[in-house]
Amino acid sequence: MTSLEASVPAGGVQFLGQRGAYWRLLVRGAVLLMLTLGIYRFWLATDVRRFLWANTQIAGETLEYTGTALELLIGFLVAIAILVPVYAGFFVGALELGTLGQMSSMIAFAALFLLGQYAIYRARRYRLTRTIYRGLRFHQEGSAWRYAIRAVLWWIVTVLTLGLAYPFQLASLERFKMRNTFYGDLAGDFAGSGFRLFLYGLPMWFLVMAPLVLAVAAFVNEVDWGALAAVISQGGDDMMARIEGSNPALASAIVFAMLMAGTSVAMAALLYPAFQALVLRWWSSGLRFGAITVHSKLRVRRVYAAYMRFLWYAILFSILLAIAAVPALAVVGALTGDDQAGALGEAVATGILLVGYVVAALGFSTVYRATVLLSLWQLGMESLQLSGLSALDRVKAIGAPASAVGEGLADALNVGGY
Amino acid sequence: MDDVRMNSGAGVYFDGRTSARHDAQVALGRSSLQIAGADGRPLGEWRYDEIEALSAPDNILRLGRRGSAVLERLEIADPKFAALIDERAGNVDRSGTLQRRQRLRVIGWSISATASLLLVAYFGVPAIAARLTPVVPAAIERKLGDAVDMEVRGVLDSKHTGDKFECGRGDSERPGRAALDKLVQRLETAAALPLPLRVAVVRRGEANAIALPGGRIYVFRGLIAKADNADEVAGVIAHEIGHVAHRDGTKRVLQGAGLSFLFGMLLGDFVGGGAVVYAGRTVLQSSYSREVEAAADIYGAELMIRAHGNARALAVMLGKIGGATEPGMKILLDHPQTKARIAAINRIAPSSPGTPFLDETEWSALKRICTG
Repeated sequence: MTSLEASVPAGGVQFLGQRGAYWRLLVRGAVLLMLTLGIYRFWLATDVRRFLWANTQIAGETLEYTGTALELLIGFLVAIAILVPVYAGFFVGALELGTLGQMSSMIAFAALFLLGQYAIYRARRYRLTRTIYRGLRFHQEGSAWRYAIRAVLWWIVTVLTLGLAYPFQLASLERFKMRNTFYGDLAGDFAGSGFRLFLYGLPMWFLVMAPLVLAVAAFVNEVDWGALAAVISQGGDDMMARIEGSNPALASAIVFAMLMAGTSVAMAALLYPAFQALVLRWWSSGLRFGAITVHSKLRVRRVYAAYMRFLWYAILFSILLAIAAVPALAVVGALTGDDQAGALGEAVATGILLVGYVVAALGFSTVYRATVLLSLWQLGMESLQLSGLSALDRVKAIGAPASAVGEGLADALNVGGY
Repeated sequence: MDDVRMNSGAGVYFDGRTSARHDAQVALGRSSLQIAGADGRPLGEWRYDEIEALSAPDNILRLGRRGSAVLERLEIADPKFAALIDERAGNVDRSGTLQRRQRLRVIGWSISATASLLLVAYFGVPAIAARLTPVVPAAIERKLGDAVDMEVRGVLDSKHTGDKFECGRGDSERPGRAALDKLVQRLETAAALPLPLRVAVVRRGEANAIALPGGRIYVFRGLIAKADNADEVAGVIAHEIGHVAHRDGTKRVLQGAGLSFLFGMLLGDFVGGGAVVYAGRTVLQSSYSREVEAAADIYGAELMIRAHGNARALAVMLGKIGGATEPGMKILLDHPQTKARIAAINRIAPSSPGTPFLDETEWSALKRICTG
């Protein structure tokens, strides 16, 4: 025992999980998801959390996840019971309000977005109260509606500022969450500064935005807007031809804009792992529980390495898919190519295509979860250095388990997390 | 062998009231575990039948007490000693047999739920929609039609021409509109529907026509361009009147709502779920629509007979446009079906040309209905 304890640094976090075991869990889960049309997701989510929690060792003790799949299933059914009248209300509203009904899809989107944020907060409460460490549970206080309104307002600001407000949004929402988070009677806090993340992220923002700005500038300079408006207002079938005639620079401006948009997308894809690493390091370094402080030393290149592993497995999986697709497509061709093909043949062919699609989607998502997501968890955890751990000897138990309705809503609204 | 030594072992104990960690000595009693601190002070006594194993890393047996509000935990790292506890406590299931059995039951039930879901989607939803449609009051069907109309116009009117999207409003288009009204009037009289028809030609290039709930029919200008005479246009309109008479638009909305609910809500959020929902809906709805189209064909041909027109004109038109009356349905190839549809129409339609719907001047006016 003593030798084991000596090898663990006092404030260290270790991840004990075996990649192979996680792969097995996910692959079996993906197969069962397909066979059960997704109903297995409650069991898979519970298995995944049990694995990640149980294998995360903080200062010598592992976390424990006590949630069950049945709780998630019931939470989901309750969420359905809540959402069905809401959806029915939107449907009837769209019929009854006439022209106002035109706005109903916008109102529905806004309402469901708000509900989604509400669900995110409630789901976090469920997960925290199912997390046990050293015989005590975590819990979360605070009103989910207040969180949801705050989150929606921040999202509006972030969209209006083209993402520049995102660091401040993260900091504000994280403060709200962490100040309502407790381990036993030990209150959480968040010390991360939005401005600091803003400064870290600004260069990336410029690299992604600059090509788009160039594209817009090219349009403004090269295109004769007066002539274009005149041609469009005139309408008619030969409109495109006349647009070209009146605006010789338009075609090259469009080509340039498309190139720039492509550059911007490529930039975003290349920088995304770095951004993810940056946010993760900033976020974990801001976590506080009473006198316990956290410092993260996450290396950006290790996140890139995780993405490279993802690419490697994804290519391997694509090759397997391509090999399997040859006989499948041959069958589909045989079933539909014939002029006399019956409805049954077409149904079978469609079924084969659907199954192929689902296998591909589930496969890539499994590869992503087993490489990138697992690595982010492991790297995020193992890069942590905790101090002030002596506080752990006198934390008292408070808090009670919360219901899984938030998880169910998050699931039904497609905003679920881990 | 070493049973005597193995009557006790080391563990780590958390009392569930504070986070303090206690190194503990655990003794195996006759019917319970006795937990004592390093100083020998008793920390707890757990009956074997109330002990449960909890989620933990592979090399640790983590125990708790079932149904206890206090989260007491006992962790055993020594595998031999853990095995001895496993032997004694019936609810501790290290090999996972119990859990596997439970899992299998879940999987079995989920698969049967899936099967019943698919059966309901294939047989139940159309049956329910067909029963519900006749009892939908005309006023609601009209409102439904207006809502659908707004959506459809949003999609079809891609150039946002607004009012100009409908042909027949400009000065030079009026004679065409008059010709269309005359043609529709003859069909409407023969059909004797309980609700008024609202037929319009719209500026879309495809050879197509659609019927909305509540008696609205849009004929695309591309269809008139492909037609060689007024009876061919009338044949297609008669087919669409069939949809109105059978209230297929309303039925389709009800089916769509039912399928969205079944697939969208219950299947929820597994990766690729959204696309599966969409594809499943498309496939199922188009499988319903095969029968629906066939019924509208028969209605159309019979209506043409009643209106003393050329009942085979619809078949001629179908042959020209290849039966591709449903935009966006590329998953299913429609061509094999077209031949069967043409044959079915020609079986009941006499080959007599009947009385033409429009004379030569009226027909050429109709051809110019969208020129303004």
